[in-house]
Amino acid sequence: MDFDIIFGNAARAAFGPEAVILALAAVGLNVHFGFTGLLNFGQVGFLLLGAYGTSVSVATFGWSLWVGVVVGLVLSVALAVALGFPTLRLHAVMFAIVTIAAAEIIRILIGSTDAIGLTGGPLSVSFDAGAFYDLNPYPDGPHDRYGIGTFEFTGQQLWVITVGWVLVALVCLAVFLIVRSPWGRVLKSIREDEDAARSLGKNVFSYKMQALVIGGVIGGMGGVIDAIKTSGADPNGFRPQVTFFAYTALLLGGSATYLGPVLGAILFWFLREWIESFLRQLTAEAWLPDAAADFLDGTEGVISVAMVGLALVLLMLFRPQGIVGNRTEMQLDAR
Amino acid sequence: MPDDLTPRPEPGPAAGEIEPILTVPPEVGAPKPNPILVVDNLTRSFGGLRAVDVDHLEMERGVVTALIGPNGAGKTTLFNLLTGFDRADTGRWSFDGQPVTSPSPDQLARKGMIRTFQLTKSLAKLTVLDNVLLGAPGQVGERLPVAPFRSRWRHQEQANTERAEELLERFNLAHMRDELAGTLSGGQRKLLEVARALMAEPVLIMLDEPMAGVNPALAQSLMRHITLLAYEGLSVVFIEHAMDVVTGISDWVVVLAQGRVIAEGPPWKVIHDDEVIDAYLGRRRAGAGS
Repeated sequence: MDFDIIFGNAARAAFGPEAVILALAAVGLNVHFGFTGLLNFGQVGFLLLGAYGTSVSVATFGWSLWVGVVVGLVLSVALAVALGFPTLRLHAVMFAIVTIAAAEIIRILIGSTDAIGLTGGPLSVSFDAGAFYDLNPYPDGPHDRYGIGTFEFTGQQLWVITVGWVLVALVCLAVFLIVRSPWGRVLKSIREDEDAARSLGKNVFSYKMQALVIGGVIGGMGGVIDAIKTSGADPNGFRPQVTFFAYTALLLGGSATYLGPVLGAILFWFLREWIESFLRQLTAEAWLPDAAADFLDGTEGVISVAMVGLALVLLMLFRPQGIVGNRTEMQLDAR
Repeated sequence: MPDDLTPRPEPGPAAGEIEPILTVPPEVGAPKPNPILVVDNLTRSFGGLRAVDVDHLEMERGVVTALIGPNGAGKTTLFNLLTGFDRADTGRWSFDGQPVTSPSPDQLARKGMIRTFQLTKSLAKLTVLDNVLLGAPGQVGERLPVAPFRSRWRHQEQANTERAEELLERFNLAHMRDELAGTLSGGQRKLLEVARALMAEPVLIMLDEPMAGVNPALAQSLMRHITLLAYEGLSVVFIEHAMDVVTGISDWVVVLAQGRVIAEGPPWKVIHDDEVIDAYLGRRRAGAGS
């Protein structure tokens, strides 16, 4: 059992591109759910359009990567508007149902064999993200490694996560600036009681739409990073659990806080990878009974997700406000 | 029926003249000298039940009007219709001389018709101060392109904060300024909601049972404050079901029973009206009354 390797894997996951993507998804969700109270269960749809908008623009249409990024983000805005117009006037539950269904519909359409010509269908799509890596300032020889001990990245990986975390920081700053304003106060008032906001002259529909677009675009940025990181997109990467992982990260860190979703995303990936690596090492231990080793072999990933779920349950029991949340605020829900 | 949708010239009482509302005869549907709200043929049914059925009703500007009636008389439904929170089956009404064509709650509120709710809607996870600040009209910082730039809305926010603090002071809530509104007692929430409504600089404030659950001393000071505001030109309509409460504080009383206006007039006249007494106590045997 080598705890150095386990820790290295966990730390790499916690600060790697996957955590960046989850952080962006969760920050966007925080704008929807945390601040505005919109029960968006289709956040993955925004990531999907960000990723496929970028990939398809470059791979299918041969446009530049930067145009692809813009296309991805514009598609996220379009999805927010398309979802919001019919549903934002309805009850919150309707909105939740429509979002989860819409995200699935998009994923299934994009992954269908009929869409092979455009999106690669079930075969996934790949493109050359060279334009992004050309800007990489870190030397990226075959032996170049950055980090300490087992916590290390290649030059290319380091470039992706540098850009990723800078983006996360900028997004968090932007969210902080708009939410601490009177505009943010209206959002929170809508979360607390729509009719009260209306009775004071606030156009609730318009504010919800603005929040939906902003949170959706932030999710779309996560998708763009995903596309660049993998130089492509695969429909299987955008199943509904991505949304649930984003909710997990958001609740772990603390809903309606500025840094909670980011901390939650880091913690989510750290825990998940730590447990998975630990189980892999455990499987190889000689003293483990064969039956247990057989059971663990190949199921490490599933068990680690289950453990993260358990962590969330414990969190709800002992610290329902999340890592950085406000306990008094949380307790008001029970009234 | 006269065309009530055209704005009337303001009569403007000269000094020494009696209050114009006192010249109005105490009859159902009586025209007022300077109405803020004019309602015609307003109906709303829930299934077979006709909750509101008002032929003609005018509410005078700058006075305190009490809307009373037994439970289930349709007072809150009437409020909901007028403020756009519910859709009327038929009817039209005008507010501040303007016909209300497509009633939406937020538009009406921006025009100065501000209401409160019977079941208080305090915003639990906002501070008491933020609750009141939310009411401030015309905030530039509520527009997304301006919101990130604090320097653009700081001054307005400061001025609003000062006003909000004055209101909190008046309603004995100043010491709770930074507490979350969800921690307030029921009565305090009621007061907070009235403070928030006043923060919105209403032309007409419509209070749905403002005194329910508020301790009597505080309720008195609340209503004194409201009559004072009416004196300064604010129009006030409030719902109450206890008849005795309204006499001291209202200039005019409208009585609703089973959705219909059954009487209106100055409080001292209305409380002796036979039909009103019937509505509250149940109908007398034929021939026993009058």
